[in-house]
Amino acid sequence: MPIPRRTLRLSLLAVAAALALMVAGCGGDGDDEESGGATGAAESEEEITLTVGLFGTFGFEEAGLYDEYERLHPNITIEETSIEFEQDYYQALQTHLAGGAGLSDIQGIEVARIAEVTQTQPDKWVDLNEFGAEELADNFFPWKWEAGRTADGATIGLGTDTGPQAICYRTDLFQQAGLPTDRDELSALWEDWDDFIESGKQYMANAPKGSAFIDSASGLYNAIIGQSETQYYDEEGNPIYDTNPVVKDAWDIAVEAIQAGLTAKLEQFDQAWNQAFANGAFATISCPAWMIGYIKGQAGDAGAGKWDVASIPGDGGNWGGSYLSIPAASEHKEEAYALIEWLTAPEQQITMWTDAQHFPSSSIAAADGAVAAATDEYFSNAPIGEIFKESADDLPIATLGPKDGVVKDTISNGLNRVDQQGADPDEAWEQTLEEIASAIE
Amino acid sequence: MTVAPATVRRKLERRRVGERRAGTLTYVALILTTILAILPLYWTVVAASRSNADIAKTPPPFTPGENLFSNIRQALDQVDMVKALFNSLVVSGSIALGTVFFCTLAGFAFAKLRFRGSTVLLVIILATMMVPAQLGVVPLFILIAELGWVNQLQAVILPTLVSAFGVVFMRQYLINALPTEIIEAAVVDGASTFRIFRSIVLPAAKPAMAVLGMLTFLMAWNDFFWPIIALSSQNPTVQVALNSLGQGYVPDRSVILAGTLVGTVPVLVVFALLGKQIVGGIMEGAVKG
Amino acid sequence: MRLKAQMATPDQAGSLVAGARGPRERSAWRMRLTKLDTKLSPYAYVSPFFLLFIAFGLFPLAYTAWVSLHSVSLQNVDEMTWVGLDNYSRLIHDDAFWNALLNTLTIGLISTVPQLMMALGLAHLLHYKLRGSTFFRVSMLMPYATSVAAATIVFAMLFGRDFGLINWFLGVFGVENIDWESGRWSSQIAISVIVTWRWTGYNALIYLAAMQAIPKDLYEAAEVDGASRWQQLRHVTIPGIKPTIVFTVIISTIGATQLFGEPLLFGGAGGYRGGADHQYQTLGLLLYEQGWFNFQLGRAAATAWTMFLIIMVAVAVNAFLAARGRSAFTIGRRRRHA
Repeated sequence: MPIPRRTLRLSLLAVAAALALMVAGCGGDGDDEESGGATGAAESEEEITLTVGLFGTFGFEEAGLYDEYERLHPNITIEETSIEFEQDYYQALQTHLAGGAGLSDIQGIEVARIAEVTQTQPDKWVDLNEFGAEELADNFFPWKWEAGRTADGATIGLGTDTGPQAICYRTDLFQQAGLPTDRDELSALWEDWDDFIESGKQYMANAPKGSAFIDSASGLYNAIIGQSETQYYDEEGNPIYDTNPVVKDAWDIAVEAIQAGLTAKLEQFDQAWNQAFANGAFATISCPAWMIGYIKGQAGDAGAGKWDVASIPGDGGNWGGSYLSIPAASEHKEEAYALIEWLTAPEQQITMWTDAQHFPSSSIAAADGAVAAATDEYFSNAPIGEIFKESADDLPIATLGPKDGVVKDTISNGLNRVDQQGADPDEAWEQTLEEIASAIE
Repeated sequence: MTVAPATVRRKLERRRVGERRAGTLTYVALILTTILAILPLYWTVVAASRSNADIAKTPPPFTPGENLFSNIRQALDQVDMVKALFNSLVVSGSIALGTVFFCTLAGFAFAKLRFRGSTVLLVIILATMMVPAQLGVVPLFILIAELGWVNQLQAVILPTLVSAFGVVFMRQYLINALPTEIIEAAVVDGASTFRIFRSIVLPAAKPAMAVLGMLTFLMAWNDFFWPIIALSSQNPTVQVALNSLGQGYVPDRSVILAGTLVGTVPVLVVFALLGKQIVGGIMEGAVKG
Repeated sequence: MRLKAQMATPDQAGSLVAGARGPRERSAWRMRLTKLDTKLSPYAYVSPFFLLFIAFGLFPLAYTAWVSLHSVSLQNVDEMTWVGLDNYSRLIHDDAFWNALLNTLTIGLISTVPQLMMALGLAHLLHYKLRGSTFFRVSMLMPYATSVAAATIVFAMLFGRDFGLINWFLGVFGVENIDWESGRWSSQIAISVIVTWRWTGYNALIYLAAMQAIPKDLYEAAEVDGASRWQQLRHVTIPGIKPTIVFTVIISTIGATQLFGEPLLFGGAGGYRGGADHQYQTLGLLLYEQGWFNFQLGRAAATAWTMFLIIMVAVAVNAFLAARGRSAFTIGRRRRHA
């Protein structure tokens, strides 16, 4: 059927209308999307655009570090691409690595994946020692530095942040349920996880309507397992997730919390979980340092002053933390190295803590007075510097394994089954072990 | 022949399907269906024009709010939507044109020409229709990387041109639409295959080519699995761009939906205007195909 | 009827190739050329498609078949360890596979059968003389124009446990919040709703077109026999569009077996798992999880080829039933008109 001319004109009008819709919204066009790279500028140096591929919220952009670096190096433009879920990010990264293309100049690697990268594919990444990374060794906590190196001594990643742990809680909800709200009191009360669970039961006895004690079982589990030196692999690199009593113990405590009705039955990093911050659906959440910024972002202004931070039961522990690496396929290795060296330098790590609440992986930064003195108004002026530093000092040096990420995710999923779907804990445990075996062997 | 009395005739007319005027019930059912079809789209507009906090309320909002343009602006800030729309246009257009071209050629050959191996080749093509799409992604990506096409539009265009469905569609259409006698007559008269193709086949195939082109364009526009791997946010199509929307501490769903709207509106508008032709094309293709 | 006007008549076709040589030479030379043309040109017409096909269609397929016989991880694609059919036997013994197969089957049924029936009903309604028929047809086709990603995101929000529109609506009738994503049936129904929403209109139009091709005298004959509208639908309309129904069933089956985008995006963060208990993990998702999250490419390839076999079987069964049905129908008709 031939298209009548009138309709053709009308449809062109429609496309124009759609474009107009966009232009109307285009009022304030962001200007941090310039793709530089064009030669022929008036600078003496070549104009280079460095691409940075990250996941979740590293916070460099928000803390203004990119702008500062671009000011210091006018010929450099930084473009960041961030993917929300680390699983999606990592899988895209691996696909691109397989083809050797589509990679950014700098790629972030999470601590649960770093062992895999250093052990199985060092050839795909730049050995940062070529650019003098060895000199930086003393900047970092030894365990953080070591985990970024291969068995042969090549350095693959420079550490960004770590995740020393604490417990973040809602003072107003605690008050309503009749629990103490003073953080020192709570820190003393919560000597170990049994005490924590007890508090939980007390809370639930008088809980405000619609709120649970803790957000999720998997959050609790990750906090506990993060306190252990041995997790899913032993020193020789053999998987021990099924025989390591620490793993089963952490699982059992999480299950106990589920069965006592303490959890809000949420899946972490899910949409519903995001929304729950603002709705008071839970009173506590296990708080690695990077969760602080997360809480602020999700709970918004309405939550200011309602939160506080207490020490974690047990000994410190670590959850999360990342590295910055350069793929071998990058075309601007030298400039990329300069950038990551700067981003992970002690001064910038201090800024990342004071401005964005990402705790340093640099021992020098962590020892700095500014770090320890940090308090947070949002969290009722809690001395977060002290709390997290104390936790960081206690950090066990965990043995990492290549499939840590997969094991961790599968166990979290197993706990979700018990929590959200009411599965039988023992069956769920057996099934989880089977799934892990299927996934990593 | 006796003419049936008027009352009987009217009764017969009432019973005949296809000529009967629709009753109230029919209209009600159709209107209900239309509402159900449009409701999610309407809700997208509502959510895109509200703030993230609004959407999370109970009960959820029903009417559009005021944030539409600011959300769109945010979406455009986060992602280069203009470039994405342009890329999608180029990609989908090329795929549509290319697919129609190649599949008409091949479809004609399978439909009317006799040559050795035609059955085998056709079976191979049919079989690939049943292969899961995710299957070839890794080797395809490695191939694309070898060719140096990562992040380029041709990485998305060329692999998608091989449409088994297109070949089968054109073949089926041409079998019915091209009487063999006419072709044979032309051959007897000494016309080369090319002449036949140009003067006989192409004019006859036009309606099917239009339908195939429209369907392919639509499918290419909405394709997301392969483009997300082959392209990045530096050179995205609409679906790739939408994938990187809403990042940051708070995934702002109203912004994500605003971006989704911008990505879908062109298609919907074209639909609304050319709807009659598109519908007609699909139906015509259905009859002949 | 339109076609005839556009096609060249035999005379015109012949006159297009007027030559200027002498009669005897002309015919001999032309005969050789024509022979060559007839023999070789089909390949010329087919080759553009096939060249692309070999590069971007067959090569990945062959590679994947090869990979399925090895143990390969995505991190190191070049290191392939031969394992023969081990991946396939592991698959057969894997609970996850049978779970995914069952899910694919159930979601496939829930999303195809009601959808095609509704499409049939809609086509029947549209077949009447309607005012605003174009409006109805176009608006029913709109869902088809939206992308899988956009549609699934919106529906995932609509089906949200705490803040979704659907739970709110059900709450008006006193129904408690359903956790759509967690349950087996609830999640599969939700996903089927998404698929149904996208495809019903499209299939309805295809049926409508086929219905309009049914000759009117069949209906007249039925009326004379005293058939009601319902009986006309059953005995004239449906048999009359049987080939079209078969076609849509086959296409829907292939699509349902490969179902991937909707369950993946429905699940959000852990979507590739198909829910905490894999309650809506289809074969397509299982393949995706194995290859891209566990990075076990060899096993994913084995899953993919197994899916291919399953689809072939399903299509063959469909075609067989259709052929048998058709012959039964013809026999029936012959007997009636005897």
